[in-house]
Amino acid sequence: MLPAIRAEGLSKRYRVGTPGSATLREAFSRWRRGEPDPRELWALRDVSFSIAPGETLGIIGGNGSGKSTLLKILSRITEPTAGCAVLRGRIASLLEVGAGFHPELTGRQNVHLNGAILGMTRAEVARKFDAIVAFSGVEGFIDTPVKRYSSGMHLRLAFSVAAHLESEILAVDEALAVGDAAFHRRCLDKMDELRSAGRTILYVSHDLETVSRLCARTLWLERGGVRDIGPTAEIVPAYLAVLLPLGGAPT
Amino acid sequence: MSFEEPASIEVVIRPRRGWLDADWAEVPRRRELALLLVRRDFLVRYAQTALGPAWSVLQPLLTAAVFVAVFHKAVRIPTDGLPPALFYLSGLLFWDYFSRSLLGVSTSLIDNAALFRKVYFPRVIVPLSLVASNLMAFLLQLAVFLLVYAGFLIAAPASAARPGPLLLALPLLLALTAALALGVGLWIAALTAKYRDLHQLTRFLVQLWMYATPLVFPVSAVPARWRPIFELNPMAAIIECSRRAFLGAGVVAPRALAASALAAAVLLASGLGVFAAAERTAVDTL
Repeated sequence: MLPAIRAEGLSKRYRVGTPGSATLREAFSRWRRGEPDPRELWALRDVSFSIAPGETLGIIGGNGSGKSTLLKILSRITEPTAGCAVLRGRIASLLEVGAGFHPELTGRQNVHLNGAILGMTRAEVARKFDAIVAFSGVEGFIDTPVKRYSSGMHLRLAFSVAAHLESEILAVDEALAVGDAAFHRRCLDKMDELRSAGRTILYVSHDLETVSRLCARTLWLERGGVRDIGPTAEIVPAYLAVLLPLGGAPT
Repeated sequence: MSFEEPASIEVVIRPRRGWLDADWAEVPRRRELALLLVRRDFLVRYAQTALGPAWSVLQPLLTAAVFVAVFHKAVRIPTDGLPPALFYLSGLLFWDYFSRSLLGVSTSLIDNAALFRKVYFPRVIVPLSLVASNLMAFLLQLAVFLLVYAGFLIAAPASAARPGPLLLALPLLLALTAALALGVGLWIAALTAKYRDLHQLTRFLVQLWMYATPLVFPVSAVPARWRPIFELNPMAAIIECSRRAFLGAGVVAPRALAASALAAAVLLASGLGVFAAAERTAVDTL
């Protein structure tokens, strides 16, 4: 069977030392002195792996190991500097919750806009609209501008749209997930549901217990490269063995 | 969706190859998103304003009133023998559409950075929807102009202002204006992703551009030896041509109009290219 995701030599270089953006003057003076660009940082270096359809792959590693960068590349938010990846099917991520929500628009208008941003067709949103609203529990306020929502209502409605997107591949970056414990619980429940429905899932997390429970295989990233990939039962103990003697997360 | 689209849909992610390498095929597929963005722009623009879309009507009227007071009454710049209010309103019609679209497109990467950091769709959809949503303000403004025009014709039937056969060219002029605004706007958007300074400059450049365009003066007031340089401004021929179409006065040089069309085509194609280059890594620098 063809893999759901095949990554070959994915690499990503970021420019650091010029946070935000460069200015014309800096670029000009560098160019005049013939200097190369300032310090460069490889956030991801030569990462290769493949995932079978329906598989749940855990991705672990310390801060700055490249986990989020990898997800960003796979969800096409930024492009790799080198290497390539082939995805079969749509990819959605639970970190896109509320992308493009506009405070001045009503809940109803935002559901339609957000659905379109996430890649749903108009017919798809129309078909699922009632289910989305019911799941979010904000029925009474669906025609109220979102800026009048409490942050909890806002989050529930946004999550409800994302949860109803039927994509073949789901990316979950738990480090970036915001929300309370109940919301966290919902994310995990949704993942369980999608997993049993045969979706391919990429699960980035620091929560090794959940990784062990959900993922048969795990990818261990370290300083942008693949440290190891294999059965979770082998990778997690090896990761812990490196982690614990140092008494903290490796950098 | 899984049953509407085969699961074999394949997405290849790799570094950009070449100048125009972008996900163009995806753009028409996401036209529903473009339409919703147009609707959002329209709804949000007038959210919580007491006058709502009336602002699109008032703004050109107030600007024209200022122009009449300053450029006609005080500085006494000729208006080709036309009633000054009509002269200014006709010019503002295309200029407002141009400047509004250009400014919107030029900040489209910065304004939507938070969205672009979260989810992928072809970024060019945002500038395209901006140019489309500004059409609504254009149509409102056109209606206002036609009303004022009708009023003038009734009050002073002997007036020199008469619409001409060039009216048929208006859709073409509008398309040229959209292409120019999009082309220049995309260039600035792509460059501001890297060089934020340009963001500060854009408003000033547009203002400067306005004074190089026959908005508050007719082309006939430009000395003949300066005309060739003057015609380098692709908006000049468009404004003068639209004025001639509506009011029957103005210098329309086919050569200048052809140059405008060429400039619009070149700027649009190259603008799409540099924008495609910038959009793929814009979130890294924004």
